[in-house]
Amino acid sequence: MGLKAGANFCEARFFEERSNSISIENGVARALGSGIVRGVGIRVIVGGRWGFASTNVPTRRSVEGALVDAVGGAKSIATRGGEEAKIVDAKPTIDTVNHKVKINPEGVSPEERVKRMLEIEKVARSYSDRVKDTFMSYRDVLTKVVVCNSFGTSIEETTPRTYVYCSVISKEGENMQTGFESVGNVAGYEIVDAIQPEKFSGKAAEKAVKLLDAHPPPRGTHTIVVDPKVGGLFVHEAFGHNSEGDLVFGGQSIVSDKMGQRVASDLVSIMDDPTKLKNGHFIYDHEGTRAEPHLIVNNGTLVGFLHSLESAAKLGGKPQGSARAQSHHHPPIIRMSNTYFAPGDMTLEEILEDINLGVYLSGSQYGYVETQKGQFTCKVEQAWLIEKGELTDHLRDVAINGVTLDALKNVTAVGRDFRMEMPGMCGKGDQGMYVDAGSPHIRVEGIVVGGRR
Amino acid sequence: MEEIDLTTPVEKAIRLLSTLDLDVFDVSAVYSRSLSIDILGKGIKEARSRTDLGIGVRAYKNRGMGVAFSQSLEPADVEKTAHRAASFATAAQPDPYFKGIPGPSKALEVPNLCDSEITALTLEEAGRLAKGMIDAVEGVCPGAMYVGGMGAGHSRGYLMTSTGVSVEAEKTSVSAFIAPTYRKGDDVGSSHEYDYAISLAEMDFDKIGKRAAEKALEQFGSKRVKSGTLPIIITPDSTNSLIFGLMMAISGESAVKGRSFASGCLGKQVAPQILEIDDDGTIPRAIASSAYDGEGVPRRLTKVVGEGTVLTFLHNSYSAGIAGVETTGHAQRGGYGGYVGAGPTNIRVKPGDSSLDEMVAETKRGVLATNAAFFPNMVSGEFSSTIDEGFLIEGGEKKHPVKNLMAGGHILELYKNTELISREGRTLGKGHFFPAIKISQVKLAGK
Repeated sequence: MGLKAGANFCEARFFEERSNSISIENGVARALGSGIVRGVGIRVIVGGRWGFASTNVPTRRSVEGALVDAVGGAKSIATRGGEEAKIVDAKPTIDTVNHKVKINPEGVSPEERVKRMLEIEKVARSYSDRVKDTFMSYRDVLTKVVVCNSFGTSIEETTPRTYVYCSVISKEGENMQTGFESVGNVAGYEIVDAIQPEKFSGKAAEKAVKLLDAHPPPRGTHTIVVDPKVGGLFVHEAFGHNSEGDLVFGGQSIVSDKMGQRVASDLVSIMDDPTKLKNGHFIYDHEGTRAEPHLIVNNGTLVGFLHSLESAAKLGGKPQGSARAQSHHHPPIIRMSNTYFAPGDMTLEEILEDINLGVYLSGSQYGYVETQKGQFTCKVEQAWLIEKGELTDHLRDVAINGVTLDALKNVTAVGRDFRMEMPGMCGKGDQGMYVDAGSPHIRVEGIVVGGRR
Repeated sequence: MEEIDLTTPVEKAIRLLSTLDLDVFDVSAVYSRSLSIDILGKGIKEARSRTDLGIGVRAYKNRGMGVAFSQSLEPADVEKTAHRAASFATAAQPDPYFKGIPGPSKALEVPNLCDSEITALTLEEAGRLAKGMIDAVEGVCPGAMYVGGMGAGHSRGYLMTSTGVSVEAEKTSVSAFIAPTYRKGDDVGSSHEYDYAISLAEMDFDKIGKRAAEKALEQFGSKRVKSGTLPIIITPDSTNSLIFGLMMAISGESAVKGRSFASGCLGKQVAPQILEIDDDGTIPRAIASSAYDGEGVPRRLTKVVGEGTVLTFLHNSYSAGIAGVETTGHAQRGGYGGYVGAGPTNIRVKPGDSSLDEMVAETKRGVLATNAAFFPNMVSGEFSSTIDEGFLIEGGEKKHPVKNLMAGGHILELYKNTELISREGRTLGKGHFFPAIKISQVKLAGK
């Protein structure tokens, strides 16, 4: 129907996401919830312009109306100038993917889930009398995406994900601090069964309580060493977003003209790999392209961008499956998946040993980047002062700031102890998306550390 | 806007829930339609439309809460949603703090929350407005690359509760954002400008574009600044985050359960007497106005900070029950998701008697923060924020844009160190008002 209506390209995407959640506060399962998100998004190219329309009104009239809106939308901007819509031809693919789980959450009753969450939470609550409040949340999500397009592609992929999050507030006098732990992956309830409460909620409580006695960091420019979580946040924010093809052709990336050039120390290699079984895992992206690992930086040289069908056409690359959409209400845009710094060959002791004064950063809270300027900010959970190669003062309320290309050229040590354990959501535009990120320990010179001291 | 019946499915859910032996419950349904124009790279990239609807149920059994929502209003889906919420409420445990949900009360009408120009807007017209914004940028200085867009929407909602609340609401909104980036070799001039309102007549797309271009061009030649403790002048766009952090910290259950940095601030002076903040959800044609809050309680004018002292927390019925006070009508319901939180409406900071120019002129050495989010850790109150855009002030003059500069400290120190508030400021969405604020000293981390 889309082609008959004048479209050169037409894509219809059905999206359904079913979720269940439990919220526990101080030993009380206060709320249980569930939701169903379901609808259709239609995207077309007409006269060299994109049109997109979505609906979750489940009537033929509404879906056909969405197609009319998408075509009409593209035509309406045809004379306005701007960014031309063009895509590479894709070979038609027909496939159905159902990610398997060991334990289907639907097979575990709400009462059993509550009981297990309370067991895990109790360890945090009983950790110390300085624990003020404890929170646990559980969420399972089953996402089904069906992509059909005018190339003849018809892909259906159903992905289960399960998450558990624990946060703890500690208090002494007026001083309150927080600690948290989370697990999550493309997986079923087995992820809950695998939780060892002492290493999960107990660890969150330990962090919250120990931060009560931590100090503000010494502000200024320092040598920093980041753990695998901060390294993951750093690579995601500082470089990952800059490698997204839509930001590259849109003139919003600091590396848009740097393909083939040195952008980092030769110790740095950066990958984005949706085929890894981590939180950003998928087999087909939301344009129906089969996912492949993407090498972005190889030993300091920029060798690749992340592509959609559109950015591959505009930048001359090959689509490797990086276009995803939060729901039927959103068009696919270029997203990272599982992004990481490749490991090197040093131990943490070797990385630290020749630092006279620096800051060791551990655990990530959030970050953001202004890709057009290449300026990034990362907020971390906790830190330690490094003095003569040793970790000394425990520090809290630490954030770092840097300029991407300066920071990556100043990476002077990369560890061998790689981990990827940052399951979360990445925000871009008005869309959130499942991602993960990882790294070994890394040393970076000349980073601004913010703080009160 | 397509005629979608919200009353029948909501009433069906209410009838069904009434048979399930629950304590209390509420049902809300929302239908919305929106248009947007996406801007990327050389200009307009995409035209979009969205039709959304859903129904959410919140049910309590033995003070345990069950929540469910569905994006389908088909009778079978409405039934399943009600049953799921009821069964979850049964599986949940008693919340010792839960006291009940509000009953009906009559609010005064808040006029002009629906703009016929927006309900009649076409994508072609939206594209013209977005293009006008781009043309305004190009008129100041051509050759930018862009990210941004504009959107306009119309939503209709219906809330019913087992306690007799029955409230319908309808509203329009429009927003625009544009961020031009200019390059001169490796130097980058980049900034953004935005606005939002409930009617098209309130929006000046030409002004948004011109202002964005001017701000972007000012950012060329940014330099690093040495670490130190300096006065900082925060322009209205950044005052926004400074004040919003306090308003969130005194809202809802976090405030009354002692989990926010401002939990202990009720009745205490947190800033000099020049700081006064009102919250008013009844301003005609304002972005955060409505006759009723998310639980069907009338909105009102609330004096939140008077002469630097926190006069009240902002409550929904849950937090009010814990505090042992009446709700202040600040319940917030995020669409049809079922959950209800609390937060501010239209925030109005009382203008002072200084001006931004005077503040700069009187500063020997300091920083003018034009784009920075002073949003703290909501538990500890500590913050460590990048000055994303700003200028070094020396000898009472703006010297150069700054980069790689962070501000850190405790947010309550910033309020306490408020030195001057400007007469002029920025009104956003016809409701919020934020002036410029000078803070006497802030710890800065740079080179």
